[in-house]
Amino acid sequence: MSDMLNKTEAIVKKAKSLGADEVVAKTTFGKYRQVRFSNNQVDITVAWNDYVTDVALAWKKRVVATQIRNFQNVDANIEKLLKLAKVSKENPMFGGFAKGSFKYAKSNADKKLQNLEDPIGYVSEAIGAAEKEVGSRVESGGILFSKFEDVYLVSSEGPIGVDSRSAIELSIRAFSEREASGHGVECSSSLKDFNPSRAGTKAGEIAKLAKNPKVGEEGVYDVVFDPLIFGSSLAVWGSMASAFRIMIQFSVFVDKLGQKVAPEFVTVKDNPAAYSMSNRVFDDEGVPTRENVIIDCGILKTYLHNTSTAKIFKTETTGNAGLVFPNPWNIEVEPGNMRKDELFKEVKRGLYFTNTWYTRFQNYARGDFSTIPRDGIFLVEKGEIKQSLKDLRISDNVLNMLNNIVAFSKERQHVHWWGEADPPSLSPYALIKNVHITKSR
Amino acid sequence: MNEDIVDYALNYAQKKGVEYAEVRAQSQTEEVLLLRSGILETYVSAVDSGFCVRLIANGGIGFASTNKWTKEEAKEIMDLALKYARAANRKEKITFAEEKGVETKWVVNQKKKIEDVSPEEKIASFVDIDKALTSCGVKIAATMSQCTINLTSKYYVNSEGSRISAFVPKIGAFFLITVAEQGKTEQAYEQFGYSGGWEAFHKWNVEEKLIHNAKVLRDVITKAKVVKPGTMDLICGTEVTGIAAHESCGHPMEADRILGREMSQAGRSFIYKGGQFWIGSRIGSDCVTIADDPTIENSYGYFAYDDEGVKARRRFLYKNGVINEFLHNRETAAKLGTRSNASSRSINYDREAIVRMSNTFVMPGDATEEELIKDVKYGVYMKSFTEWNIDDKRFNQRYVGREAYLIENGELKHPVARPVIETTTLKFWTAVDAVSKNLEFDSATCGKGDPAQGVPVYTGGPCIRLREVYVK
Repeated sequence: MSDMLNKTEAIVKKAKSLGADEVVAKTTFGKYRQVRFSNNQVDITVAWNDYVTDVALAWKKRVVATQIRNFQNVDANIEKLLKLAKVSKENPMFGGFAKGSFKYAKSNADKKLQNLEDPIGYVSEAIGAAEKEVGSRVESGGILFSKFEDVYLVSSEGPIGVDSRSAIELSIRAFSEREASGHGVECSSSLKDFNPSRAGTKAGEIAKLAKNPKVGEEGVYDVVFDPLIFGSSLAVWGSMASAFRIMIQFSVFVDKLGQKVAPEFVTVKDNPAAYSMSNRVFDDEGVPTRENVIIDCGILKTYLHNTSTAKIFKTETTGNAGLVFPNPWNIEVEPGNMRKDELFKEVKRGLYFTNTWYTRFQNYARGDFSTIPRDGIFLVEKGEIKQSLKDLRISDNVLNMLNNIVAFSKERQHVHWWGEADPPSLSPYALIKNVHITKSR
Repeated sequence: MNEDIVDYALNYAQKKGVEYAEVRAQSQTEEVLLLRSGILETYVSAVDSGFCVRLIANGGIGFASTNKWTKEEAKEIMDLALKYARAANRKEKITFAEEKGVETKWVVNQKKKIEDVSPEEKIASFVDIDKALTSCGVKIAATMSQCTINLTSKYYVNSEGSRISAFVPKIGAFFLITVAEQGKTEQAYEQFGYSGGWEAFHKWNVEEKLIHNAKVLRDVITKAKVVKPGTMDLICGTEVTGIAAHESCGHPMEADRILGREMSQAGRSFIYKGGQFWIGSRIGSDCVTIADDPTIENSYGYFAYDDEGVKARRRFLYKNGVINEFLHNRETAAKLGTRSNASSRSINYDREAIVRMSNTFVMPGDATEEELIKDVKYGVYMKSFTEWNIDDKRFNQRYVGREAYLIENGELKHPVARPVIETTTLKFWTAVDAVSKNLEFDSATCGKGDPAQGVPVYTGGPCIRLREVYVK
């Protein structure tokens, strides 16, 4: 047993000795690196070293939590936390932390991401690729981000585990003109197959196509969604599958288990698989993570649970526990049977969106929302891109959009971007019919 | 917080011959209470303490942070930041606008110290609100509430002689309610924020506001009619005025956006050199003056010195309808040949300070709210909003009304269901022909930065009247 696992276990034992009923402690040693760039130059390079133990404990169904960063006063912190639990209020719905001992898959973390050599080199590669597409007048900005975490988890209820988690992401937005831009991302859990040029090329290709945009027209369109913008939708839909979101009515999936929410060919999963930036072998209760099918052939199959929410819904945890409530880790869509170009050919007159931001809801339970596509927006006629457009907004409804999905491409991309496509996903091109588009007047 | 280590880190950097260095330490005691339908889900209590270094070497910036308080760690992160700064290899070298070193201490006082309020009292305050809400006669389907308390100590030093200590207590509360009537639902959220002590809780009138919201949502379901789309007058209530000021004035006036430093994430601005809009360009009618002011006492966005040690002051962003002054930190100010106006903020020691708003609001006029309404033949009064967004150049925006009423011949009529204004920044502010004298503020968390940094702000203003805009 490693020294850190011993120290994490000591926290659990201390809390138990003071009278806690159940305790989970998770220690994370994280190294995070980021390069931010704009106008083709590096603005700042950032390094965070973070040493933290998250502790959640329950005493007579009073649930309290803390983060310990000063390891000189661990006992005092735990004593304080238990004192807080004793004056706190009972949560009758608390169903305990996960019980049992589990075997975990082997961690896939890439040790090269512990100390990333030459992070700026990856940025230069991406900028160069965008420039190759657009020419020397391109203006590119974005980030390179890497993480390496050593994670040690001990629960008084049995789970005990060690994991290492790594990720690297390059996000680049290239401008060919003031109002013509494209966005590309390259995301992975390891350096293997990480190709920053791919993101730069994609950003540059879209930026080049997006030149001379005209203001688009309001209406109802068939729309091809690029994997990046469809990843934003998947992030919203996946988050709405969290049982906590269901309980606070922050979801269109309330009371819809077992019901049809999408066409038969639509299957959506949550899976923190080896390739994913969210890869992990256990959740925050120490339950092994797994693939969960959220929508199976159009039918809503499950919500995402921790132990407590699972008891409320009379089911089992899905291995999605966060410190407080369950979350999706990585959304996957089963691929379709068309190639990207075949999917475009299905569009007689429609739009192609490549990215979006600022998705906001009028009502999460009903699913009414709007979001603002950015970067390349294109008019598509007879499967061909005819005109670059700008200044449009999607003003629609989640359930309508889910039900109006017509096709997915065979090609899928692992995407993540800022807070807009988060959690990450494995996302195809998607064709959705009858999407409502509005604009400023 | 160990000030000796902070001073040690700065000395270490200075010996390395850097062009500029600063060390910013922050220690915050944080509490979060999360309740679902009146049940306390979790009570989180934690202390976070650490420091960062930011330096300029060879015209590049390096930044590194840690929460390990040792001299060895200080050296390690300083060396890392220096390595990164030198590696940037920029053609255009970064410099900071001139500032004199400042030695000072600033503190936000608490009338009722948060430290003296027991956890039981804090919990009871929120449970009682939920009880009042669920017994107000409206069918409440679900509630979620969250209280966030931060007691933050800061210590900032830089290589130009600044040495600033601060203590800032902040308290925030967030509520989400879902009303269900006649098989339909409506939702609303409400946020409160304050710099100071627990006295905030009594100033907010939370119970009254949430019960009002619940009744408004019920009326939207049971009484509201859809407005016939068309050109009409629109009166924006203080909440709508505030969000518009924040989104279509505050954000586009951030100089880092204008210069492209946020081009990939938060975006650029419709204001840029060589474009249609710059300082001196008209963006609204004469009666539109919008300020950003961090010095409003006890405001959620309050600070006396920013996170680069620059003294805070009021900034007039749009003045009488004309673009007047950008929000600057020292880096953007140097690029545009001016001085910082203290807009550099960071949420914690492990985040870079970037250009941010504080409390952004439309300056009040001299009309009453009634006078604004009286002069409208046909239109909508949008008192509050639900869905909203704006594009990343901050020009095309949309606000959907939550509490709204039809106005006919100068009188308020029935509630209107979700009226929408979707228009440009120029059309919005140009259409304003009257401004009321009642100035009110709302609390919000402004998002920007990568990794995201949600900073506490006020949005605010009086009621404003827009003539002949398209409402649907």
